[in-house]
Amino acid sequence: MDETIRKQIDDVLAGASNPELPAGAMERLLARLDDEDRVVAMPSPRPSPRPMLPWSAALPLAASLALGVYLGAMGSLDDFLPDSVTGEVAVSDDENADLSGVTDAEAYAEEDVT
Amino acid sequence: MLAAAARRDKAAFAEIAARYYRPVYRLAWRMTGGHADSEDIAQEVFVKLWRNPGQVREAMALKGWLMRVAANGAIDRARRRGAVALDEVPEPADAEPRADRGLERQEAQRHIDRAIAALPERQRLALSLVHFEGLSNIAAAAAMQASVEAVESLLARARRGLKEKLSGHWRELLDGLGTGSG
Repeated sequence: MDETIRKQIDDVLAGASNPELPAGAMERLLARLDDEDRVVAMPSPRPSPRPMLPWSAALPLAASLALGVYLGAMGSLDDFLPDSVTGEVAVSDDENADLSGVTDAEAYAEEDVT
Repeated sequence: MLAAAARRDKAAFAEIAARYYRPVYRLAWRMTGGHADSEDIAQEVFVKLWRNPGQVREAMALKGWLMRVAANGAIDRARRRGAVALDEVPEPADAEPRADRGLERQEAQRHIDRAIAALPERQRLALSLVHFEGLSNIAAAAAMQASVEAVESLLARARRGLKEKLSGHWRELLDGLGTGSG
C-alpha cells in the first residue's frame, strides 16, 4: 500500500471515537470481585448414572446374541440343549409322502383335480 | 503485581485493573460496535483473571492475554446475537458526548466508527489491537493466536477496506480532520 494513502488512513483513524470508561465502571468491577469472593463453593452435582437399556431394546438384543452363539457353534452345543430345541420337528414314516405339496400343485396345473 | 494478585491481594489486583481496564473496555467497545455489553465483557475478563490468575504466567503476557479474552468474549456475544449484515451495522454509541465538539467532527467520527464496525471481525480486531491499543504486530499476533504475517495481511486488508467504505467522504474527512495532505 502506498505510504501516503497509509498515512491518510491512519490520520482518518485518528478521528475515530475514543470511548471513555462509563462512570463508576471501576467501582462496579471491584464490587463484582467482592461478590465473587462471597460465592460459596457448592459441590458439583453428581452425574446421574446412565439409564439402563430398556427391556424393549435389551430383549431382542439378548435373543439375537443367543441365536448368534447357537448358530456360530455349528451344532456343537446340541448336546447341552434340550431336545425340544435340537430334536427333529417332524418326521414322516412314508418316504414317498410329499409333505411339500408340490405334486398336488402339478396335478392342479394339469387340471387333474379329481 | 501479578504474583500478588495471584495470592488474591485485592490492592494489587485493583492496580492491574486500573492499568488495563480502560484498554480492555475500549477493545470490547470497538469489537461490539459500541454495544452496551462492552462493560460486561470487560468485567468478565477481569473476573476470569481473578478466579484463575495462574492462567497468566508472565507479567509481559498479561496485556495480550486480557486482550485475547476480551476479543473472544466480544466475538462470542456477537455470534450469539447473530451475524449483522453490512448495512445493518449499528451506529456506535457516542463515546464522548460533548456539547463543544463541532458537528462536522461528530459526523466524521460517526462515519469512521461505522466503517470500523463494518469491517470483518478479524480485521477489526487486528486494527484495534495495533492501531488503537498500540500493540506491536508481534504482540497482536500472540493475542490473536495468529502469525505475524497473518496480522500484517489483516491490517492491510482492514486499511483498504476502510478506504473503500469511506471513499464517499474521504476528502471531507481529510479536510475536516485537518489533514488535507495528498
